[in-house]
Amino acid sequence: MNDHDDQASADRPEVITLSFPARADLVVLARFTAATLGSRAGFDVEEIEDLRLAVDELVVSFEAVQAGGTVQLRCTQSGGEVLIECTVEPGANGDSRQGIAGGELWGADGELSKQLLDALVDQHGREHRDGGPCVWLRKHRAHSGR
Amino acid sequence: MTDRPARGDDGLDRFRDLTNTKDPKLRDELITSHLGLAHQLARRFTGRGESHDDLVQVASIALVKAVDRFDPERGVQFSTFAATCVIGELKRHFRDRGWAVRAPRRIQELYLEVGQNIDRLSQELGHPPTVPELAAAIGTTEDAVLEAIEAGRGYRTASLDAPDANSQTMGDSLGSEDLRFGHVDDRSVLATALEALPERDQVIIRLRFIDGLTQSEIASRLGVSQMHISRLLAASLQQLRASFADDPQPLDA
Repeated sequence: MNDHDDQASADRPEVITLSFPARADLVVLARFTAATLGSRAGFDVEEIEDLRLAVDELVVSFEAVQAGGTVQLRCTQSGGEVLIECTVEPGANGDSRQGIAGGELWGADGELSKQLLDALVDQHGREHRDGGPCVWLRKHRAHSGR
Repeated sequence: MTDRPARGDDGLDRFRDLTNTKDPKLRDELITSHLGLAHQLARRFTGRGESHDDLVQVASIALVKAVDRFDPERGVQFSTFAATCVIGELKRHFRDRGWAVRAPRRIQELYLEVGQNIDRLSQELGHPPTVPELAAAIGTTEDAVLEAIEAGRGYRTASLDAPDANSQTMGDSLGSEDLRFGHVDDRSVLATALEALPERDQVIIRLRFIDGLTQSEIASRLGVSQMHISRLLAASLQQLRASFADDPQPLDA
């Protein structure tokens, strides 16, 4: 691979998709994936720590987390930026209190999660996509020279 | 108490006497005369989540064992032998006692190494290091560094009252902070939610999420490592979530 190919490869977005049961002990998968992409985006360790806390918040605060549900995570790294989008497919019994601990209560009106994410990432939001809710965050490295 | 052995040559003659006579008084003297070494080595491990007193105790016990096991005929200075024994015991202590969730030994040791190098490289580089910079400094892979960082969640959050190398507790540093949030008219959901936490945890959360300080800035202000602050933040947020899970009252009630 020559320099041109290296550069093209570096500019190409890296996309990782994850799907896992909505359980608190599995959020580690989301954190580790986000940290890995953050590192590849050139984040320093403090930015990575913030990203990991934000991913916790993103997943845990999701109102639609349900017992037996499945977290769908799409993580994209490109040009020193990491974008993480999270949706949750409802479980069969639809019990919204049994999923990731405290999820819907933690963000009863979303305000608390919003304030935390404000401090941790550059942008975040909630919207409806494909008929269901989606929460997302975007963080880019502070210094371009790394 | 003195840091120096009673004689030159690291007191080898006295150790020979001890080997020959098993004199308990001489044994006590040799232990006492080297306690400074135990204290010195314990200080090097302070600020990593274990109380200084506990570390001194571990180091002192290791010193006693070193005095009993030392063979003056091996051609090694006692201080060299004892330092190896004490450091080994302190590392074992961290491996065995510092982890709420048991991680593989190599990851535990790497986690401690990552923490030390973050602080050192932050000073040298003028900014927190990247993962590749950390991996290069430690001589490991980037994946291993990321694994160690994640494993840090299993490390016990240090008591705020554990003293640091300057014999000042983090609680002392926090004492100068305004715990009442009265200096700003902050009626945000977060400020209200924080009442579920101990006052000292509130300070750290406020500094990060309301005052907007970085983890490094908070660490510098409180005289602890950035990784320590990271652990405390994660633990405090987890505690907040748990408190809301137990009490489903509206936040603004």
